[in-house]
Amino acid sequence: MIARDRNWLLIFVVCVALAILYPFIADGYQLTVIRDALIFGLFAASLDFFWGRTGILCFGHAAFFGIGGYIMALVTLNDAIPFASLLGLAGAVAGAAFVAAIIGYFLFFGGIRGSYFTIVTLAMGVICQQAAVSWSSVTGGDSGLIGIPPIEFDVAGLPVDLSQDLPSYIFVSAIVAVAVLALWSISRGRWGTVLTAIQDNEVRAAALGHNAPLRLLVTFVLSAAIAGLAGALYVCMAGLVAPDLSGLLLSTEVIVWVAVGGRGTLLGPVLGAIFIQRAQQTISSFNPSLWPLLLGCVFVVIVFVLPDGILSIYARLKSLFKGRRRAQ
Amino acid sequence: MSDVLLQAENVGIRFGGLQALEALDLTVRDKELCCIIGPNGAGKSTFLNVLTGTLRPTSGSVRFRGRDIAGLPLHRIARLGIARKFQIPSVFPSLSVEDNLKVARWGAPSPVRPVAELLELVALTNRAATLAGELAHGQKQWLEIGMALAIEPRLLLLDEPTAGMTPQETLATAEMLLRLKGEFSIVAVEHDIRFVRALNCETLVLHQGRRLRSGPFHDIETDEMVRDVYLGRR
Repeated sequence: MIARDRNWLLIFVVCVALAILYPFIADGYQLTVIRDALIFGLFAASLDFFWGRTGILCFGHAAFFGIGGYIMALVTLNDAIPFASLLGLAGAVAGAAFVAAIIGYFLFFGGIRGSYFTIVTLAMGVICQQAAVSWSSVTGGDSGLIGIPPIEFDVAGLPVDLSQDLPSYIFVSAIVAVAVLALWSISRGRWGTVLTAIQDNEVRAAALGHNAPLRLLVTFVLSAAIAGLAGALYVCMAGLVAPDLSGLLLSTEVIVWVAVGGRGTLLGPVLGAIFIQRAQQTISSFNPSLWPLLLGCVFVVIVFVLPDGILSIYARLKSLFKGRRRAQ
Repeated sequence: MSDVLLQAENVGIRFGGLQALEALDLTVRDKELCCIIGPNGAGKSTFLNVLTGTLRPTSGSVRFRGRDIAGLPLHRIARLGIARKFQIPSVFPSLSVEDNLKVARWGAPSPVRPVAELLELVALTNRAATLAGELAHGQKQWLEIGMALAIEPRLLLLDEPTAGMTPQETLATAEMLLRLKGEFSIVAVEHDIRFVRALNCETLVLHQGRRLRSGPFHDIETDEMVRDVYLGRR
């Protein structure tokens, strides 16, 4: 367990070092590509925090991403609101958490688990996307909202302006690093151990005095809040928000990122998101219709060959060599 | 009667057309050890489910320290001081033995025994880092007892604690319980007569959902009617 923690921290430090070095070799455009990929990486980590620790799959996680995005857009596009960027971020986080709390309360305390939970959250995602399309007076309908300003605020009187490539890259990287580290320290300690126990046998955990539905609910709300934060960051960087951001496709993609990166590792899903989006861009420039086909194939191969994700390659090789040595 | 911990009065439960339990009474005093025995299908586990509040009786009541516990959520019942060991070992297989005990302690309102002492009590000190899913069957049962102890119960309910154990493990379990006897009340549901004989305590015999006999075990053991039921003559 301790060795596992050390390995995780080592990989984390390497990733942070790479993120720090990247601006020295990359141009502005490449920075924005990685920046956007990192935001989706944060989104993937938020799903992994819930799915990886509870074993319950949320198939509508993009709903929280979209809710965060729309709240951020509506707050920052309204000229009457002061400190719009900060208020927008706070509102996005709170809004996503609030919706998760309402839905989660009825599901968890109503004893909905497993595939039933997955199906209900799938419907939730579809409802959110439909609401974004239909409520056009507020959400702009199918075409969404455009012209969302970049994040800007003051730190001790010094203005922080994220309209440039490098500052926005640094800002996003820092948030992703802090959030992933925070989620990891929550999920490895007492909170995570009890969640694993609940995943193993919820009735038993309850018989020991643990309020399992409440713990699942809080985990779900926290996960949704981070997803909302990612959504808010994304719309500010992209400058627009559209119903797709809460759609079924994004909900599916985020599951693939987590599965490819390795469920329960938090860092793996971030890498999975970056890796798959890079692959998507490369392959789509080659032939746009090739990508969905390849994505499906990659997913199937990963599930069969590396069910614990790409981060498990090292552990797999190690156990393979150990097995060889023992056999000799 | 201020030392009465658990009192079941006139408990009856009906599943559709089946009267699973009928007019059962049970009084467990503080720090008392008692056994519920009976052939398969006698209603032992059902009665235990009623005693832990997981099943609401269709008639009668179950009071723990004067409070009706029927239908309370599981974690509330645990926090009242009722610990339960399930029939099928239900430890957390993906956690280590030590983490299993830690999860149990964290659920308790005021845990007293440190994890090291719990490991000692259930003879698992040298397996602390093993994943619970990899333990032998008997050791899983002991780990479960250890987890039940971790919540510092007033009352420990054991559902067939020796199911699937070897005779040596069964006797070791009985010794473990006898050592713990003076600390809290224990109710064990069992059909292994050797185990109940080793405990030699107040015993309630169930048959077809009703009380057949109750009293000290040596009286029960010599009872003609109990022998008939166990040998299947009735």
